Amino acid sequence: MNPTLGRWGKFGLGTYFWALVLFLYTPLVVLLVFSFNDSTIATLPYSGFTTKWYGRAFDNQEMVDAIMLSAKIALLNSLFATALGVVGAIGLSAGRLFGRSAITALLMLPLVVPYIVLGIGMLILINQVNVDQSMWVVLAGHIVITVPYTILVVLPRLRTLDDALPEAARDLGSSDVGAFFRITAPLILPAVVSAMIISFIISFDEYAIASFLVPPGDKTFPIFVYGGTKVPEQRPELLAIGATVIVISLCVVMIAEFGRGWLERRQTGRDSLAAATAE
Amino acid sequence: MATAEEASVRPARRRVGRPRLRPAKGWLALPPALYLLGLLILPIALLSLYSVFLLTNLIGVTNVFSLSAWQDFFPSNPFTWKPWSTESVFWNRFTLSMCVTLIVSLVVTTMAYPLAYFLAFVSERRRYVFLFILLAPFFTSFLLRVLAWQVMLNDSGVINSALWQLGILSDGQPLEIFGMGIFRTWFSVGLVLGYSWIPFVALPIFVVLENMDRRVIEAAQDLGASRFMTFLRVTLPLSLPGVIAGFVFVLIPTTGEFVTPQLVGGTDTYMFGQAIQDLFIGTAISWNTGSVLAIWLMAVVVVLIAFSSRFLVMDLREGTE
Repeated sequence: MNPTLGRWGKFGLGTYFWALVLFLYTPLVVLLVFSFNDSTIATLPYSGFTTKWYGRAFDNQEMVDAIMLSAKIALLNSLFATALGVVGAIGLSAGRLFGRSAITALLMLPLVVPYIVLGIGMLILINQVNVDQSMWVVLAGHIVITVPYTILVVLPRLRTLDDALPEAARDLGSSDVGAFFRITAPLILPAVVSAMIISFIISFDEYAIASFLVPPGDKTFPIFVYGGTKVPEQRPELLAIGATVIVISLCVVMIAEFGRGWLERRQTGRDSLAAATAE
Repeated sequence: MATAEEASVRPARRRVGRPRLRPAKGWLALPPALYLLGLLILPIALLSLYSVFLLTNLIGVTNVFSLSAWQDFFPSNPFTWKPWSTESVFWNRFTLSMCVTLIVSLVVTTMAYPLAYFLAFVSERRRYVFLFILLAPFFTSFLLRVLAWQVMLNDSGVINSALWQLGILSDGQPLEIFGMGIFRTWFSVGLVLGYSWIPFVALPIFVVLENMDRRVIEAAQDLGASRFMTFLRVTLPLSLPGVIAGFVFVLIPTTGEFVTPQLVGGTDTYMFGQAIQDLFIGTAISWNTGSVLAIWLMAVVVVLIAFSSRFLVMDLREGTE
């Protein structure tokens, strides 16, 4: 029963929704389709099916290096940013917190600072302290932008936890740290894993900040792609690798989302079962 | 029963001398806060020092406080200032970019509203699956999506060559919309910016619509309002916080955007963010001028946030108890 729309209204809105979904997915499909096109330029009519671009792309050492470098940065970033985020989320979930709104504002600030300001800010900071551009600086910048996301993922999960659980652990003789690792940590694990995945993806894909902070000559994957868009001869290989990355990341996102839902459902199931038994 | 038990347990526990029921864990917010102080606030502070020449990377120039970079940035007389004047080029860049971002944000928010409405009111039980379908492409690489648009939009690209094949356009003649080509123009920049942000704008609007008290809608209809009037007088006003949040969600990042116009724009679509980039690592390096532009960009964003903050971080501000 929906009182807000007539049948035609619903139909129109549904059509609009799926038309927009089509619009959102078209570029991805085009990329996929033309990565198999037997021609150096992506244009219609289709010249025939080939997988040779995939072979060439993966033989391209520069690209493999770029992917490995980005993966390394993204992995370290997901560890550090999530650690900071979990700690920060626990801090923000404290009942009493001096200067809560100021601290919250600071922790969320990277979400609204334009990336260009972050990039040049980091650039003049390292210039000021005489540090060269390096992968560590890129990593430091990526941690800045991903910390708020990890907090936003972990904090709601912390809030839904029953405070009585860690309290009970402490009453039974556990230390604060012990209570965290044995009670809280397993319960927020699904959120922590999503936080890690999200921060990995953001870092792996980040171009704007990295473009200011990579040392000349080195390339993260987005910087490699950016360079490739300017070289038409490289485009077919770029399409092949792009299609691969897009398919993989869609799969990861799907597994992450449904996996998290499944884990949380299972835990809630257990919680309610425990509650039922307790009664 | 349970409450009576609790009431008897709690005072007893205090008596045994536990000073607090739970540990003060607020200090755990400090590590990330300090990290951001050092790598976010400090750089912004350095930028502001650069903008007034208290720091400079110019060789042979001593650091003396000077507002000259700021004076050069603003038009000397705002009343006689014309967007096409050659005076204060960066200010012109700023106003032009701001106009473009405002138009893009307005269009995107308008287009996203029906999506959110569909998800909240029509899609019933599968709404989260649909929401996921809407958001999923945006967890794939941004640059690769822009690359895909390059492939589609360029002069011999997929769209143009498809139109040639279908005989809608004569061979070799690229499509034009609103009198401009579809690639390396404001059209392509606006299109790709809009494409990038629509789902994120739909999200806050969806959340507000989803949490709206359905009874007020029913009440309006019981009192005789038509569906359209119900929407106009009840649903729309109540969803405005989400609309404003969505609008700001797209406005803020696009204000400083420099990657999209570089990749799908041309010489005519040089945006404010690109100007900043060029002043730092591009062809015309001047960190002092660049800092003025960057601080100004920050200031604009801060003002935008200040006006809309109560729609943005509502649920984080609340305490836990």
